[in-house]
Amino acid sequence: MSRSVPCWPRAGTDPDPGVDETGRAYAVMAFGPDAAAIAARWCDRIAARGRPLWVRRSDRASDEVLAALAEHLGTATVGWRLMLAGPEADALRAHAVALAGGALDAELTLLITGDEHRRVWCAHCGETTEARTSPGDHLPCAGCGRTLVVHAHVSRPRAAYLGAIP
Amino acid sequence: MTVLHLVVARSTELAPGIRELALADPDGRPLPSHPAGSHLVVECGPVRNAYSLTGPGAAPAEYTIAVLCRPDRRREHSGAAYLHALRPGDRVCASPPRSAFAPVSTARRHLLVAGGIGVTPMVAHVRDAQRWGRDVALLYVHRPGAGVFSDELATRLGPELFRTTDRGAFGRRLADALTAQPLGTHLYVCGPGGFTDRVLAEASAAGWVPQRLHAERFVAAEPAPGRAFVARLARSGRDVAVPGGTSLLDALAAAGVVVPSLCRRGFCGECRVPVLAGAPLHRDEYLDPDERAAGDAVMCCVSRSETDTLELDL
Repeated sequence: MSRSVPCWPRAGTDPDPGVDETGRAYAVMAFGPDAAAIAARWCDRIAARGRPLWVRRSDRASDEVLAALAEHLGTATVGWRLMLAGPEADALRAHAVALAGGALDAELTLLITGDEHRRVWCAHCGETTEARTSPGDHLPCAGCGRTLVVHAHVSRPRAAYLGAIP
Repeated sequence: MTVLHLVVARSTELAPGIRELALADPDGRPLPSHPAGSHLVVECGPVRNAYSLTGPGAAPAEYTIAVLCRPDRRREHSGAAYLHALRPGDRVCASPPRSAFAPVSTARRHLLVAGGIGVTPMVAHVRDAQRWGRDVALLYVHRPGAGVFSDELATRLGPELFRTTDRGAFGRRLADALTAQPLGTHLYVCGPGGFTDRVLAEASAAGWVPQRLHAERFVAAEPAPGRAFVARLARSGRDVAVPGGTSLLDALAAAGVVVPSLCRRGFCGECRVPVLAGAPLHRDEYLDPDERAAGDAVMCCVSRSETDTLELDL
């Protein structure tokens, strides 16, 4: 696997990384039903430490939820931590917004609940297609209709795998 | 190893005990470029000291450094006393500029924290930040009468400069600043060892991750003599005993294996040696946390071995 493919811990296989207790303020985001219990555990722990906490739960990392995260990032100060639970495609999108807002990987904790769906960026037309696919698979681009091979290469800022014609 | 042969162009007193030296190429050629926050290791008679470059770094006509020499600490400051005695026209040897304290291009803001003469790399940072339009602030604490560069910094920074001679006031301002920086800020600290340690500890307690913290340390504590170990030279199959109190660098040299070195204080990175087996005891300031954890290199001037044997690719 390419080093650009995220190797974040997986719920059910890997242990919960838990709350990074060196933080001063926290944001927790949970995407989808499988993330709810994980986020609740994190929130309890953060509340028990009496730290400021911003929480968003949603089915997907929608544009609306990501805009709320971006706005929150604008007010965040150094010492802030972000904890993300959900499918890889959603976590990647929130991760990209956090990095663009000035956060570092060391300030982010992720627990992935699934990776059935992937976002694939077309190198030819620039459109991003989301589908049930894996690196090595073929996929029709939703933008230009070309058949793309999904590469084991992820753009962090685009939050997508690279797709290109074979 | 490259050595720069320089000539003193000017020596000016900035404050009691602090002189600024301008060093130039003897033939008037431009000097090697460097990022803001870089330093030179200058040969000061018998010792080598590191000094931050305060001037602009693009093919500069001269390097400027500020040298503190406290008369009450002449023994510790023997290198500084040597530099203070230099006059225009005198020759001096130095390393090319070394960068271990450069601005981070992705930083949203740079928070600079200076104790005393530790202001020198910050002067370069402030000038560079202003030139490129980066957001920058400076907290500067110094002894009364030793606030070098104060006028220039006040003019350049306006309200983004907090300068004081009162340690209590500095501590309060630092505590406030550490909890009020926008996400994306990087912190730079330079000053005496205890000062730097305190600023880094307070930043960590306020939730700053190590990746946001940058320290430039010039005043090395005398390292403890350390435990004896054996350096195994993989290429020649020889074992070199390194007794306590003898550096790995010196033990290797005594065995006829001369490793290029410069500062001999764990700052400059010149004497890096590849490690094949065993666990290095890192005591340098050069390797970053990831390089330390990898354990595949050791700065042999100050670092030693955790294990009884350290196998080197020599």
